Amino acid sequence: MFPTFRLSMTWLHTWFGLVLGYVLIVVFFFGSLSVFDREIDRWAIPETRFAPQPMSSFDTMLAPIFARMTPEADELQAAAKRVRGPLPATLVPMNWGAYTTHRDPVLSLYAEYAVPNNPDDPDDHVHGHVTIDPRNGRLLPDDRLKIGSEFFYPMHYGLNLTWKDLGYWIVGFAALVMLAALVSGVVIHRRIFRELFTFRPRKHVQRSTLDLHNLTGVVALPFHFMFALTGLTVFASIYLPVSETLLKPQAMAAAMADAKAKGLPFKPAGVQAPLASVDAMVVEAKRRWAARGMPGEVGYLYVNHVGDRNSYVTLYRAGSDRVTLVGQPIHFEGTSGRVLLEEPPPSAVAGVNDFLTGLHLQHFEHWLLRWFYVFGGLSGCLCIATGFIFFVEKRKRQHAKAGTGGARWADAVAVATVTGMLVATLAILVANRLLPAEMAQRGDWEKASFWGAWVIAAVHALWRSAPVRDARLSPAWAEQCGAIAALAFAAVALNWITTGDHLVRTLGERFWPVAGLDLALLVAGAIAAMAAVALRRRAGVAVAETGAAAPDDAETANA
Amino acid sequence: MRRIQIVSRVAAGVLGGWSFTWGFVVLGIALLLAAGMPYADAQTLLYLVAFLVYLVVFCWSFAAASTARVWLVLFGGGAAMTGLGWWMTRLPAT
Repeated sequence: MFPTFRLSMTWLHTWFGLVLGYVLIVVFFFGSLSVFDREIDRWAIPETRFAPQPMSSFDTMLAPIFARMTPEADELQAAAKRVRGPLPATLVPMNWGAYTTHRDPVLSLYAEYAVPNNPDDPDDHVHGHVTIDPRNGRLLPDDRLKIGSEFFYPMHYGLNLTWKDLGYWIVGFAALVMLAALVSGVVIHRRIFRELFTFRPRKHVQRSTLDLHNLTGVVALPFHFMFALTGLTVFASIYLPVSETLLKPQAMAAAMADAKAKGLPFKPAGVQAPLASVDAMVVEAKRRWAARGMPGEVGYLYVNHVGDRNSYVTLYRAGSDRVTLVGQPIHFEGTSGRVLLEEPPPSAVAGVNDFLTGLHLQHFEHWLLRWFYVFGGLSGCLCIATGFIFFVEKRKRQHAKAGTGGARWADAVAVATVTGMLVATLAILVANRLLPAEMAQRGDWEKASFWGAWVIAAVHALWRSAPVRDARLSPAWAEQCGAIAALAFAAVALNWITTGDHLVRTLGERFWPVAGLDLALLVAGAIAAMAAVALRRRAGVAVAETGAAAPDDAETANA
Repeated sequence: MRRIQIVSRVAAGVLGGWSFTWGFVVLGIALLLAAGMPYADAQTLLYLVAFLVYLVVFCWSFAAASTARVWLVLFGGGAAMTGLGWWMTRLPAT
């Protein structure tokens, strides 16, 4: 199909990069925000602006809260359709879980309830969720959207498209294309070392855009490659579900043998029995972790077969002190509190996998490294955005002469994804501060403002794209940069007005979750304002110079 | 380049690449199980290399001279490896 290997890689890079780039930039951007998802939650839910807390006492605080929890109403409605006969009035809890990290002031609890009368699935169950203030056990209102961890983070790995896991598949394919774009990009450019030191902002747009595209692609090349690859391996069982299909007998046999070897009760006994002190188990778990040279806090607490004679409690260590994501779980017998099993260190293969997973999910406590993740992710966004601009710059004069609309549409979609995405992100933060606190389904309205703003930005990008047809700059870029600046400054101002937490106070108190986001918003707003001014000036110059610029070396023509 | 040729090449690279990777994972797990590795380790190891395999065959599918060869190697290879792996896991344990 192509005369040379290099041309085939150029085709791959150009077309897959363009089409999946629109997805990839979303994945990179929300991945960058997810590094600070918990901090964004604090900004969005002012009641939770206090310091992170360790896991609360189970015996005195969590047990009564778990006992009062109920299944989610929407899950019950869905379950009622699956069962034969009516759903029992109260469902019996099967398992309880509590999860926290070194960045969480609030504690998330969840419970699983058995659905007994589903003829198709004997293990059918529904869930209940609450978030508590661990200082006093008070429940937080459950319609408060955790914008960072429950909206931006799922955006990163599944685009919030949950229908048939479609979002996971789109993001997964985009990750494969990212890997292919990196490989083909290296093949195309060859002089990989020189790209690191080449940026000529004073040359014409097409040249300086390509410089920046190569520079950002090369400078974070190992980061981009590892993140695309580990992102795929984290969800490998979704993309290649061998254990649920072709190799299910082997997988099931291995799971059963594993459970048998561990001696943990697979099923409840059906006999009620009280739970021993879980706080005593926590003390013993911490003693054992310390004895192994890795003292730490409980990150995840799980009670299996609640209230049954076969109940057991599993305590996982919070992984804040190392990259690798190991829980060192210790299992305790529920009725007696004695240790059933302290899981051995992972095998060599599992150890490598835990390290790569931990590298991607970054549960560790290291603020400088977290910021490197953010800048690595944003350099990916810059690389993709400059890729779009280069695509358009390279073609728009030819397309203008030929009277075809390709460059115009590519540019309009680029505006909708690059600046439109930022408009949507800021719109949800502004809506979060503007919507009344007691509003019903407040979280849904916040999400609606995100998608609504994005749709408006996309329509605006298409509507204003006509000048690209004549090889000129679309005014939508500058206009949306202006909107970004206005929204970013408005978000900071609204945070001040509605909560009283202005920067002088949050910086004085060193409350970084809010101060950090406010500062980031101000920086983003300032950059967007400068970009808007620069783009307006350039639009004026470009009209005078149309057609003067031409590719200046062989590489530009090739890329 | 004709449009049908591009569609065929893209489909071969994306779907054929996935089939080839699937077969590679099934056969790889079957071989490691036969060699005595525990299932969880075998699966994890294959998942770690699976997407590198996918990446290589995906790029190759655009560099290869003949589209027919891409279809044959990726779908044929994927089916052959899946079949072989499936047959191996159904053998009585020795």
